[in-house]
Amino acid sequence: MAKNILIVDDSASVRQVVSIALRGAGYEVQEGCDGKDALSKLKGQKVHMIISDVNMPNMDGISLVKAVKQLPAYKFTPIVMLTTESQESKKREGQEAGAKAWIVKPFKPDQLLGVVQKLVLP
Amino acid sequence: MPNMSSTTTLSPAGAATPFATGLRGLRPHAWHCTLLGAAGGISTWAASGWNAWAAIGGGVLLAAGVIFDRQRALVERRRQARTAAFVSGTEALGRELLPVWGAHIESSRQQMETAIAELSQRFGGIVDRLDQAMKASSMAAGSSDSASHGLVAVFDRSTQELNAVLESLRKATASNSEMHAEVQNLGSFVTELQQMAAEVASIASQTNLLAINAAIEAAHAGESGRGFSVLAQEVRKLSAMSGETGRRMTDKVNLVGQAIAKARQSAEASAAREIASISVCEGSINGVLSGFHNVTQALVESADVLKRESIGIQSEICEALVQLQFQDRVSQVMSHVRQNIEQVPGELAASREGFERTGDLQPVDAAALLAALQKTYAMAEEHTTHRGGSVSAPASEEITFF
Repeated sequence: MAKNILIVDDSASVRQVVSIALRGAGYEVQEGCDGKDALSKLKGQKVHMIISDVNMPNMDGISLVKAVKQLPAYKFTPIVMLTTESQESKKREGQEAGAKAWIVKPFKPDQLLGVVQKLVLP
Repeated sequence: MPNMSSTTTLSPAGAATPFATGLRGLRPHAWHCTLLGAAGGISTWAASGWNAWAAIGGGVLLAAGVIFDRQRALVERRRQARTAAFVSGTEALGRELLPVWGAHIESSRQQMETAIAELSQRFGGIVDRLDQAMKASSMAAGSSDSASHGLVAVFDRSTQELNAVLESLRKATASNSEMHAEVQNLGSFVTELQQMAAEVASIASQTNLLAINAAIEAAHAGESGRGFSVLAQEVRKLSAMSGETGRRMTDKVNLVGQAIAKARQSAEASAAREIASISVCEGSINGVLSGFHNVTQALVESADVLKRESIGIQSEICEALVQLQFQDRVSQVMSHVRQNIEQVPGELAASREGFERTGDLQPVDAAALLAALQKTYAMAEEHTTHRGGSVSAPASEEITFF
């Protein structure tokens, strides 16, 4: 059974690029346009990994990580931040919130796949 | 687009309130020359001992002071009106023009977002279709490792089955050769039978000769040999019958011999035809297999070329997808600039309010705006640009594991 990955980004093109990379490797991909949308997508289905942007409207990526970690079903789900943010202070915020990795855009599909394969839940 | 009526706010008419405020601020100074003229006139008049002509001179001084004050007030009013118009126009610039700039930036950002998303989707479609074409081609050609019913597999199975057919034909020919050898052996039996028939005929002839001699001897014996004579006659009959049987045997054996010879000739001809036929079949099968092999090989090579090209194209598209991510970065920069532009009208309005309140020009707080802009930055190159540095396309290699 294919692993289900949720990509959260307010940029449709970024969601599209991530989807292409992951679907090509055999993963199922769900899309959310911000933190709130992502939380609604988590209900009623099993998600094996979350890839999220940081700066988004309605709910930003760091808040999303904190909110996801409060959900019992997703407490151990790996979350990877995929963002243009490269400031160390922001990275620390992500790490403290519970993110597992921080990828600075632009990313190469192969690099993203490497991170996903390393962290995705079995 | 800004409407034409909005431009009226840039005219001096909009400066009435600040103008009045300005005048209020100027009044204490507006009578300085008049007072000076009055004082000079009274002093002159008094110094002349209240002479009438001196009074006229004093009046002239007073009038000059009044005229000078009026002129100065007029110039000041005009300057204040221009300043107020400038302040009001600048605020109108922030209120009317900057939102339009912001709207244009946002519109461009959204259009770029939509276009890039669609472009990415099309690239994704190309990658998917290439993948499907590659799989279909590999499966049809059977060049993939797991293919069990591709062209290569069909060729291998066809080769095996046709070789089995050839082998079975060769076995049938070998079996015919054995039968032919058996027929050859039958020829030697016929010869033996012919010799045996000849021996039977010879025995019959000798028996007949003995019976003749026995009859002669019986005649010599007279009445006493009569019985023996009858016996000799019967023996002669038997020998004649044996001789006839021997001849018939010879005839039949000859016929059998001829039939066997004919059968042998037919078998030899049939075997020769079979061998020739098998040789032709073998040649045809090898020819067909060779042609099939060439076609299969060409298709496999073609599938390999397609696979290589597809992988190359997919790799190129992946690179293109990396480059397309510039949209996200540009979009963020545009959003940050737009947000900062949206803050400018507030600063300009505060500046106008300060001017109206105090009558003094209030500078726009550029440092606050710059600080607010800097606070929105997410990317290192935004900070670099802010400091006046130049940036190149960022490399995609920064991954941090926690």
